[in-house]
Amino acid sequence: MEQQVTVVIIEDHPVVTEGVTSWIRSDPGQRVRLVETARDLTGLHSARQPSADVIILDLELGGELVTTQIPELVGAGYRVVAFSGHSDPAIVIATLDNGAHAYVSKEEGRDHLVEAVLAAAADRPYVTRSQARAMLADQEPTRPLLSQQEQQALLLWFQGMSKASVGRRMSISENTVRQYISRARAKYAATGRTAASKDALLARAIEDGVLKPGEIVQYKSFASGGAD
Amino acid sequence: MTAVQPTALMSGRYQRAFTLAVIFLVVSWHLAGAGGQLLHNRADYSSFAFQGAMWLVMALAIAAGSVLALRGTPSWRSAWTVAVITLAASTAAAAASPANDMLAVNWAWGTAGWTGLLVLLRRRFGELACFLAAEAAATLSVQLWDGLHRTDLAGFLAVLAWSTGAQVAVAAGVRALDVAADQAAAAARSEHAARERAATAEIIQAAREARWLALQESAAPLVAELAAGTADPGDLQVRIRCAVQAARLRRLLAEGDEVPGSLVHELHASADVAERRGVAVEIETAGPLPQVPRLARRVITDAAIAILTDARSQARITLAAVAAGIAVSFVADTGAGVQLPAAAEGVTIQHQQDDGMFWAEARWNSR
Repeated sequence: MEQQVTVVIIEDHPVVTEGVTSWIRSDPGQRVRLVETARDLTGLHSARQPSADVIILDLELGGELVTTQIPELVGAGYRVVAFSGHSDPAIVIATLDNGAHAYVSKEEGRDHLVEAVLAAAADRPYVTRSQARAMLADQEPTRPLLSQQEQQALLLWFQGMSKASVGRRMSISENTVRQYISRARAKYAATGRTAASKDALLARAIEDGVLKPGEIVQYKSFASGGAD
Repeated sequence: MTAVQPTALMSGRYQRAFTLAVIFLVVSWHLAGAGGQLLHNRADYSSFAFQGAMWLVMALAIAAGSVLALRGTPSWRSAWTVAVITLAASTAAAAASPANDMLAVNWAWGTAGWTGLLVLLRRRFGELACFLAAEAAATLSVQLWDGLHRTDLAGFLAVLAWSTGAQVAVAAGVRALDVAADQAAAAARSEHAARERAATAEIIQAAREARWLALQESAAPLVAELAAGTADPGDLQVRIRCAVQAARLRRLLAEGDEVPGSLVHELHASADVAERRGVAVEIETAGPLPQVPRLARRVITDAAIAILTDARSQARITLAAVAAGIAVSFVADTGAGVQLPAAAEGVTIQHQQDDGMFWAEARWNSR
């Protein structure tokens, strides 16, 4: 019997907390167990041990963006899945850079939140359509260099195709589509600020064969070589 | 920006004309007035060569001052350099003139005043007043040095009144003309703006007429058929034709509002009819989108209308910036019966049917 993934919901709107709770409950495999809900981060800061595997974090609490608090949560041993109405690509990219595992927009919650939590608990990449959108729109000079195939897979996924359809369109298997998208996400974990969660995600990606260690080295040398 | 430029140009043109008039005045005075006097009295000077040299120095100062004035308002430093050189030359010429007959044979006073006027004309009035006062004081000092007589003082006052009075009058006149030119330019500016508004209204009117004509071709026959009873509203095909025409009408209306991101705006308008049927339409963009020409936008929105008309319950439209263009995609739960427009205006269209989901992508390439 596989162990349940424990989760904390940090959300200042009780209605949304109710909704998320119901999605967790309606998961047929009961793979996630809710251990705590809170309206802000104060309780988590005082705890000495992480009280759960994953935090579902609303990016705006009491009218303030909390993206900059993600590194502290990651440092305390949590995996963070951002769940937000803010779909601005710059905010999404900043959220990932700060060490969140995944970004799920409020519209995508029903279909993706539980899966994103499970992927985060396993340190595996999970890319929602809104996250793909932010990666496609990313104009930062520090953004990772994505291959044509990775870009095309991200674009078709963002457009709304199922991964099976993306595979048919690109004449590759559905599994290869997942590989491309995961690889694009893992490349993001290799950029920007360092965080334990990003290292864990990269290590897992290498272990799963999504990314070869050489690909990261190659990328890093490209980045340190300056804009070209 | 375009509204301001012609009038700024116009006001500048008038000011340049006034400057040229002053230059003409100064040059004429130096050649005919001062030059004539210098030659006429050449026997009276202790050194004609020195007077001639001073005349040349002032001619050079006038040339430099003309260039400065034609380039716009001269800077403090350059204006006063020219002014001080002519003042020094004029004072030196006066000092080297015979003591008892200085005012009668002095050719330089007038030229110095006019040259100062030329470079200080568009600077503060106080600067010109200072210069003219300094010049008068310098001439008076030379007279005092030579030993002033009562008749000399009367002559000094007469020349002062005549020469300086004329210079002050010209300066005041040019200032008044500058103000008038500015007012004329402002009047022209508002007239230009009115003309631009009228031209815009004409363009809007023409666009309305074009839209009306387009509707005559497509929507009017359908309305006529419905009215005559030859088209049955119960027929699915007729309902689809109606929905397409309604969406086109909305798009035509949206085409008139030239807002930034026109394509997104027109896609929203095209989606409106489907939304009224209860189809959930989401529109998302990724990246900075390029401006797409109107005819290419039309091909893309035609594809949108074809797909949305056929969508059963949901549709997703995305716009993404791709290399050298834009990729507009549609995913909807619709059957295989979608009639997509042909590739045109730099837009290519691809599609794929997977079970109940239809995917199409219209790509516009700027190259």
